[in-house]
Amino acid sequence: MTATTKGPAARTAASGPILELDDLGVVFTTETGEVPAVKGVCLQVRPGETLALVGESGSGKSTIALAAMGLLAANARATGSAVIAGTQIVGAPESGLAALRGKTVSMVFQEPATALDPLTRIGKQIAEVIRNHREVSAKDAAAEAVELLRRVGIPEPGKRARAYPFQLSGGQRQRVVIAMAIANEPGLLIADEPTTALDVTVQAEILDLLRRLAAETGTGVLLVTHNMGVVADFADRVAVMYRGEIVETGPVEDVLLRPAHDYTRRLLAAVPRLSVAAVADGTGRPPATARARTGGPAAGPSTPPPGSGAPGDRTPDRPAGGSAAGSAAGPVANRVAEPVVKLRDVSVVFGRGKAAVRALGGVSFRVEPAQTLGLVGESGSGKSTAARVALGLIPPTSGTVSLFGADLARTRARARRALRAGIGVVLQDPVASLDARMTVGECVAEPLRIHRRDLSAKDRQAKVAAVLDRVRLPREVARRAPRELSGGQRQRVSLARALVLEPRLLVADEPTSALDVSVQEAVLEVITELQGDLGFACLFVSHDLAVVQHFAQRVVVMRAGRIEEQGPTGTTLLHPETDYTRRLLAAVPVPDPVVQRGRRAERLATLAAGRTEAQA
Amino acid sequence: MSTSSYLIRRVLQAVAVIVIVTIVVFGLLHALPGGPARGILGPQATAQQIARFNHEQGLDKSLPVQYFYYLGQLLHGDLGTSYTLNEPVSQLITERLPKTLVLTVLSALVGLVLAVPLGMWQAVRRNKAADYVITTLSFIAYSTPVYFLGLILVLVFSQQLAWFPSQAPQGETLGQVFSDPQALVLPVVAGAASMVAVFSRYMRSATLENLSEDYVRTARAGGSRPGAILWRHVFRNSLTPVVAMLGYYVPVLFGGALVVEQLFNYPGMGLLFWTAAQSSDYPVLLGCVLVIAVATVTGTLLADIVQRIIDPRVKAGRA
Repeated sequence: MTATTKGPAARTAASGPILELDDLGVVFTTETGEVPAVKGVCLQVRPGETLALVGESGSGKSTIALAAMGLLAANARATGSAVIAGTQIVGAPESGLAALRGKTVSMVFQEPATALDPLTRIGKQIAEVIRNHREVSAKDAAAEAVELLRRVGIPEPGKRARAYPFQLSGGQRQRVVIAMAIANEPGLLIADEPTTALDVTVQAEILDLLRRLAAETGTGVLLVTHNMGVVADFADRVAVMYRGEIVETGPVEDVLLRPAHDYTRRLLAAVPRLSVAAVADGTGRPPATARARTGGPAAGPSTPPPGSGAPGDRTPDRPAGGSAAGSAAGPVANRVAEPVVKLRDVSVVFGRGKAAVRALGGVSFRVEPAQTLGLVGESGSGKSTAARVALGLIPPTSGTVSLFGADLARTRARARRALRAGIGVVLQDPVASLDARMTVGECVAEPLRIHRRDLSAKDRQAKVAAVLDRVRLPREVARRAPRELSGGQRQRVSLARALVLEPRLLVADEPTSALDVSVQEAVLEVITELQGDLGFACLFVSHDLAVVQHFAQRVVVMRAGRIEEQGPTGTTLLHPETDYTRRLLAAVPVPDPVVQRGRRAERLATLAAGRTEAQA
Repeated sequence: MSTSSYLIRRVLQAVAVIVIVTIVVFGLLHALPGGPARGILGPQATAQQIARFNHEQGLDKSLPVQYFYYLGQLLHGDLGTSYTLNEPVSQLITERLPKTLVLTVLSALVGLVLAVPLGMWQAVRRNKAADYVITTLSFIAYSTPVYFLGLILVLVFSQQLAWFPSQAPQGETLGQVFSDPQALVLPVVAGAASMVAVFSRYMRSATLENLSEDYVRTARAGGSRPGAILWRHVFRNSLTPVVAMLGYYVPVLFGGALVVEQLFNYPGMGLLFWTAAQSSDYPVLLGCVLVIAVATVTGTLLADIVQRIIDPRVKAGRA
């Protein structure tokens, strides 16, 4: 099986579209009745073409992907027509679908952590797909699986074929899923958020891989994603979904740069855009900095001339000017110069002896009053651990942590509790971080019950109502259960709970990464506004460089438990000093297909140069 | 963690648990009204006789000293002497334990061999007629007391149909027990019934859970057929939690044997325990408790080791 011979499916379909949806509808039968998820969807994917299906959560984009595979849940019913290489999927029997799946059409899933059987070696799982469709001996299939692992870029494929999924990283697991998907050279590849669970650098590699494989075999790709950067990087055409219907279809440059539909415009406006310094992108266009978001948090003049490092300029004046009112009103006033949190040379080691893992090493940073410090890095970089150390939840193995000027190691338990009353916390998962058995009002009032026992029930209620107003939630939600609210509303409840004690520090660990862009924008706006009013400092942990760039004044870039570099956001993220930060920034896809093409070429050239240098 | 250091650690843990059990058993022995002396010498014994007995047996020494003396005896296999049978407890147990093991292991095997496929089948046919029927039967089997079930079995299959004898094999040795396999059928069925009920439930829910896992969808997307997915992937993944439960089920099996042996007059540990309980033969009772405790600890240890073999993640400390 080489790249030059195409699968039979790809060849026969070369005449027409490999996937054709015509008036496709999907209805879910639930306890509350029939819920239409997808209505009247028509689209085509031609061989060798990538169509991106974009939209926010609940728009029905994943449902379409599953319907095209015939993999809908048992309570879902498809109507209309979905034809893959001449075969009707809607209403087809399971045996007919099994003959098609993995051979003519394959799928790559969002969550590589759970997509593979944990108890079966990966080589065997790939061989299973091969032998599902071709009369190959077990030995030959195993050899072919090794070859596929090599093709998707797994090092030492012969050895790795015997590994279990848990022994691989997330990116490697996704490569294995891709190897399974291309095992029989399908004519159509359906990728459902294939890089959403991965770090940006890994995302860039996986997108490169998919692009190369699709080009080699002339495979048509249906790419389901919510990430406009990924769309700009990968897609030829785009279909935008809103509430189960396609509102706009067109070439990627038209849809992303000149959106026709109002919803597309709103969606694109909410996408936080990474400002990047001038790159020699070969297009002769002005750099992407010109497309900063309007009306975002920390607005300021974020369309600086390239090279001036302008977003950083607001750093010095913001704590001094913008929040002067806040600090005068708050308890911060007494010790203006004191940093809210200070980590000095902190290291954290988990475990002992041979099993010891150094989670942090030599980490020093400080959060000044009323300032927002962004903590960025890829998964496993130690950014959440650092935030937990700052909260006093993880004691440092060495080094010192001071909170509001008090050394945490030297404070007694009771005093430490009092210190903690000055911190509010918002976590990533808006579902898991609220107790499902409490009402929203009880959730928000709980910190008051613990730290302000002097308050009467009536005062407590008044405070809860006031803070709900502040996060722009109607007071009535206090009587409702968290599960009755949307993700964005729940995250605002978390925020209300974090702010009810009027903290001097807000620690937000990926507060918006589970939310849609438009909801993310609203939540970040609320935080920024309240920070202006209340003057709290914020430690903002995020993997999203664009969000941090818009939201934080200073940034700390972490990698493998150490600080790679830190500085004012504008300077550090526009003109990074270390290769790592440069690579991290280069891997972020920007939602402009023209700019992104230049960035991709640049990134690949840098990588290639690095490789030849290493070999020399 | 390497397998050998894991094994050493687990065995040490098991030993620690057993030592704790010996302390409890020892404590119970001494908590008896009047102590062991009253038990042995009977209610008519005078205070003088009891004092002399206590002195002879070392029972007037401090409790820690006595405990270590008891532990020393245990290590020599000395579990004391039965009050009523006048035989060493260890001898009584070594005679009967193998027979009970035969009964419980057979019951467990039969139970598992039926329960695992049944549970999987139910999961596949979820919320269909067959699932409801088996679920109902499971609950009946689980909630029927073993002695009542045994009586029905005897009534139907022995009295009415005369297919199997109502008495278990009476032989003294294992060979004699196996020479009469027909007579083993009803006791094994009675012992296996609740096991089938419980483990088919476990297997059903484990299979259902696994059927909704992402990897099943991946396998389907690769063109694997439902039967292949079930046996190649879901079966093994569903078995791991069930194996873990098996270790904890050992005392339940022994508890079942207690009733089954009495019912079918099978000369095993259960019957020994039963008669000892009726005649307040404490050394025998506590010896049996100790043996059951050791069996339970061994059972969980074995279950953990088997789980380590079928799930590579356990070895790597990831699950």
